[in-house]
Formats: sequence, structure tokens, C-alpha cells
Amino acid sequence: MSWDQFIYFAMGALLLWGTGAALAYRLRHKAVPSLLTVAGLLIFSLFIAGLWVSLERPPLRTMGETRLWYSLFLPVAGLLTYLRWNYRWILSFTTLLSAVFIMVNLLNPDIHNKVLMPALQSPWFAPHVIIYMFSYAILGAVTLIALYYLTWGKRIKEPARIMEMTDNLVYAGTACITLGMLMGAIWAKEAWGHYWSWDPKETWAAVTWIAYLIYIHYRLKRSSSNKTAMVILIIAFVMLQICWYGVNYLPSAKQSIHTYSS
Amino acid sequence: MKISSRQIWEQPWGYKEGILIAAGIGLSGLILQLTLGNIRPTLFAAPLNLIIGALFMTGLLAMHLLARKRPLGRWLTGVKATLPALALLLLLSIFLGVIPQTPNGSETALPGDLFTPLGWYRMTTSWPFVLTCFYLLLILGLTTLRRTTRKQEWRDIGFYLNHLGLFIALLGGVLGSADMERLTMRVQEGQVEWRGADANGGLRELPLAIQLDSFLLEEYPPKLVVIEHESGRMLPASRPESYMFEGIGKSTLLAGHVVEIMEHLPHAAIFSDDSITRVVPMLMEGATVALRVKVTPEGGAAPKEGWVSNGSYLYPHSLLRIDETRSLAMPLQEVKRYTSHVTLYTEEGHTRKSLIEVNKPVMMEEWMIYQYSYDDTMGKYSDTSVFELVRDPWLKIVYTGIFMLLAGALFLFFAGPKKSRT
Ligand code: HEM
Repeated sequence: MSWDQFIYFAMGALLLWGTGAALAYRLRHKAVPSLLTVAGLLIFSLFIAGLWVSLERPPLRTMGETRLWYSLFLPVAGLLTYLRWNYRWILSFTTLLSAVFIMVNLLNPDIHNKVLMPALQSPWFAPHVIIYMFSYAILGAVTLIALYYLTWGKRIKEPARIMEMTDNLVYAGTACITLGMLMGAIWAKEAWGHYWSWDPKETWAAVTWIAYLIYIHYRLKRSSSNKTAMVILIIAFVMLQICWYGVNYLPSAKQSIHTYSS
Repeated sequence: MKISSRQIWEQPWGYKEGILIAAGIGLSGLILQLTLGNIRPTLFAAPLNLIIGALFMTGLLAMHLLARKRPLGRWLTGVKATLPALALLLLLSIFLGVIPQTPNGSETALPGDLFTPLGWYRMTTSWPFVLTCFYLLLILGLTTLRRTTRKQEWRDIGFYLNHLGLFIALLGGVLGSADMERLTMRVQEGQVEWRGADANGGLRELPLAIQLDSFLLEEYPPKLVVIEHESGRMLPASRPESYMFEGIGKSTLLAGHVVEIMEHLPHAAIFSDDSITRVVPMLMEGATVALRVKVTPEGGAAPKEGWVSNGSYLYPHSLLRIDETRSLAMPLQEVKRYTSHVTLYTEEGHTRKSLIEVNKPVMMEEWMIYQYSYDDTMGKYSDTSVFELVRDPWLKIVYTGIFMLLAGALFLFFAGPKKSRT
């Protein structure tokens, strides 16, 4: 399996996800949309598995490869939310966001080869990145809900139910970023001798984590405003984007003393 | 937000007081920073960190016992104190994440702008950052202690794992950071070394010695690329292509040219004089890898045949010219693995054979020994291995906290938020 075949798998999966999402509005029963979504997930996973085999390493090294997992986990998060809380619109939201990341991969493919530098050859590599991508997908879905809430405002009939769903997803997502971060710390100790070095990527992981902790603690107060809570979620997701790929464009990324001493 | 007739600083306190106190902590930090400069990490080294830790824990306990039932004690263990404190840490961490940091003890002069006196180039040892951490630890500790005084339910397990876990990991990390030692050690094959060098190059004798029995470096198969002869740039410039060797007889399309692999010499010697390049098999140290390839250029020009190699410390690299502007080249191979077979000795006379590689450190006499580097001028023929030795007496404490937090995260995932809050 190579990237040249990605377009077929991606389009097949998107077609199934899109049909499932459209039918979710129409059908009373959740079985058909769910099955279509699962079928799409299987096709997409098949591509990832094939890529894994042909690269002889987990496809988690490059940005494009992590986007691949993100595109997979978004419909997973959407499906779980749909099954649990019955929101018909969530599947179309997550499919759309997944499509965006698939498009980025199609239009701007990375260079993929078998090389995996020694530091990445660790049993922690796959769980660390996969759990992060999973949490990013859940928190991406949460961000869509927050945007939905803030744009629809007063027209939302059951704000309490939306808040309950949001809390549940944020707890799950924050639990996963905590797991990902701590696995990263244990791995860093094994690979580089220290569990936390305040490297820009680590710092932004901490920033993201703190932002979601702020949401969790803010929501503990019964008097807190729903709108403020949703705004916190959007800010937190911006932090997450910086952590994921934005750090590469920050001055701190060029962590070279010489650049700054002149 | 509820409208209240309460004056500021009148109990019960709310977010306003929380913001003012957090701002006060930040400002006090700033004043200390401007007058004293960064906290020198060595200041925190044993035994001072033990004393600070003991004082902090005593103060925490005393505060808990004295103020638990007072309005201040209640407020300090609530969300309205927590959120402004977390927001302040968030703000400082954002600065830390945006502004490039200069390691402590490095001799380079810091830039002459405003960030230097503010301590922002060394955020983690600046007063505002450290004070904010301790303020959060205070809230965290008091909240955890107060939780023990009420009727316990099963959900409290999650609370303790997360909050006590973070308390332990954070306090252990902050206090222990100055006790951590990192040394590097260069050892040649067949030799024994018992001294390590610190960051400033000072040598230290260790209670253990490393003998390097052998050093092995494994590389990925060689790759071929088409380069622009003048600039050395890989082609196509917008998205450089490369081909990794898979076997003789295979062919590939590389930047528009058909490249066919004719012959593969894993151990070759290259002799070139003037215009003739001779490549012969040679099984000896310093031998390089060479591929004989046939290139059929874009546009149907006559095919070219010849040897391509990335050379070694002994032999030059060799390119195959395709036309006026372009050549076929072999970049240096990527490193797949490097491993040191060692014998470790302790002062007491214990001996142990071990294998050390990246991601697989070995523990000996409180020291973790890491595969760090090798002599990269020699590449796979390096007979020198560089190790890093790390001693962190507080690691067990920090790991206790980390594993509690891991369990707490699982709890958070499966238990979810408290029901019926609304
Ligand atoms: C700087 C660190 C932290 C501080 C200062 C802090 C503070 C607090 C406070 C004051 C409460 C309210 C307690 C009460 O009303 O009885 C609370 C509750 C809570 N915190 Fe934290 N916390 C921190 C870190 C964390 C972390 C790391 C997590 C999880 C990953 C977390 C998750 C929670 C949860 C889930 C609750 C609600 C517990 C329940 O009611 O069962 N907190 N925290």
C-alpha cells in the first residue's frame, strides 16, 4: 500500500461517512447510519494497516501520517456521540472536519519513507501518538459543539443536555491528553534522560492541558455561564492546534542560542 | 453571574479576590525578579530543597488545621481561587512556549531587551513562575487535605489520584530538579572509563566504570536522489524525490528519469584519478557502499551508466552525471540503530555485561546510562561510543505522582463528570 492509493480509500470512506451522516437526519433508527460509518472506518483502517505493513514501521512519524489518524478518529468520536446522545448533526460535522484533513493530505502530501530514527523506535511511540490523536479528535468534536452552541445561542432547546454532552466529551478527551502526556514523559525519560525538559512541544502540551483543566474546574461551579465555558473550549482548542503543528512556526522552535545572541 | 452587594475583600471571597491575589503573586514575583534576578538552580540543591519541602509541608498542614473552617481556608480550597491561579500559570506557560529559552548556566549573553530583566528567557527559574507553582501547590495541597475531612465516597478515589498525584509529581519535580546530575562519557572500544564530564567540561569520578566491548551501527539501505549540480539541491525542487535501494534489477522513476539498479557492492573501494573512477569490492574497514545504475534521462537522450556512492572517511563520494545540470547522487545513509556492548564495573567489584542502545538505558549504582552518541566523522566505523549518565534521586517520588495521575486519568475517562449537576 502506498500514498498513491490513498485517494481511493479516502473517497470510499468519505462517501460512506457522508451517506451515513445524511441518513442520520432522515432515519429514526440509528443502525443504518452507524453501520455505514463503521464500514467507512474499516476501509480507512485498511489503508492505515496496509501503509503500516509496507513502511515496516507505525505510520505516525510525519505530520501527514498523524493527520491520517486524526481523520480516522473524528468519525469515531462522532459516532460515539451520536449513539450516546442521539445528536443527528454530529456525524455531518465530524465527517466534514475529517474531509478537511483528508484534503490537506491529498493536496499537500508528505514524503513518506521507511526511515524511523532510533529515538522513535520505542514501544511508547504508537500508544503515545495514537492516544493523542484520539483525544484531538474528541476535543475537535467538542469544539464543533461549542461553535454550534455559540452561533445558535438562544434557539437551542435543551442547553443542559448539550452541556452534559460537552462535559462528558471533555472529561474523556482530557483523560486521553493526560495519558498521552504522561506516556510521553515516561518515554522521554527512557530516550533522553529526563521526563520533562520544557521543550516547546512539551510546554504547549502543558498549556493545552491547563486550558482543559480550567474548563473542568470552571464547570464545577453551578453559577458558571455556559457561554463562557464554550469560549474556554474554543481557546483551549486553539492552544491544541499550536501544540500539534503551530509550534513549528514560533520563535521558540528555533531553539538555537546563536540566533538570538547577535 | 450573581449580583451581590458584597464589597471587595468582604467575605465570602469570589473570583475578584482570586484574580487580585493571583495578580499579587505575579507582581511579587516580578519585584523579586527585578531585584534578585533568576533563581539559581543550585540554590535549590540538597539539603536546601529538603528543608524547603519540609517547611512547605508543615506550613500546609498548619494552615489546614488552623484555617480549614475559616472563610479564607474555604476559599483557598475552591474553584474561585483555583481558576485565576491556573490562568496565571497558563499565561506564563504561553510566554515560555513562545519565547526561545536560554539554558541556565550557559555563558552566552542574553539580549539587551526588556525580556531579560523580566526573566522570560529563563522562565522556569524566574520568580513569578516558581511562585505561581508554589501558590498552585498550596491550593492543591489544601484542597486535597480538606477533602479528607468530609464523608468519603467512591468518586473521591479519582479526586485523590488526580490531585494528590499532581501534588506529588509537581513538588517532587520542582524540588528535585537541582539534584539531578547529567554527565557524558566517551569510551573507546577496548577501553575502560570511570570519569564523566559535566556541561562545563569538568571531569568527575564515578562509582562505576564502563568498558566498551564493541560498538555497532546499523544503517538503512542507501538512497538515490537527483540533484542540481551547481547548487546541490534535490529535485524536483518543490517536492524532492528519493528512492531507497531494494534489490538489483529494480527500476524506478526519479525526478522524471528512469533509474535501473544494475549492481550492488555493500563493501567497495573507490579509486579515482583524473577522469577514471574504479570501483572494486573490498572487505575492509572504511569500505563504502556503491550502486551501479543505468539512468535513462527525460526526453529520450542516451542512457548513462556508472557507479554512485556516498563514500566514507576513507573514500570519496561519487556522482553519476546525467546531463549538463543534473547528477544522480547517494546521500549519507540514515542511521537505523546503534548499540554498545559494554561491561560495567562498580567500586565494590561487581561486574555486569550489558547492551545499551537508544531507548534502552541501563541502571547501575543510581545512575541511568544512556546511549548518547558516537564519533560521527567515522560513521558506521566509529570505535567510540558516547554515553550520558543521569542521576535523579527524586525520580521515584515524581514517578509515584505520575503513576497516580495515570490511574486518575483512567478514572476520569471511565467515571466521567459528576451527574445531575444542573
Ligand atoms: C493545579 C492543579 C489543580 C487544582 C488547584 C485543583 C483544584 C480543585 C478544586 C479546588 C476542586 C473542587 C473541590 C471541591 O469542590 O471539593 C477540584 C475538583 C476537581 N478537579 Fe481539580 N485541581 C487541580 C488539578 C486537577 C487535575 C490535574 C485534574 C484531572 C486531570 C482535576 C480534576 C478535577 C475534578 C474531576 C474535580 C471534581 C471532583 C469531584 O467533584 O469529584 N483537577 N479541583
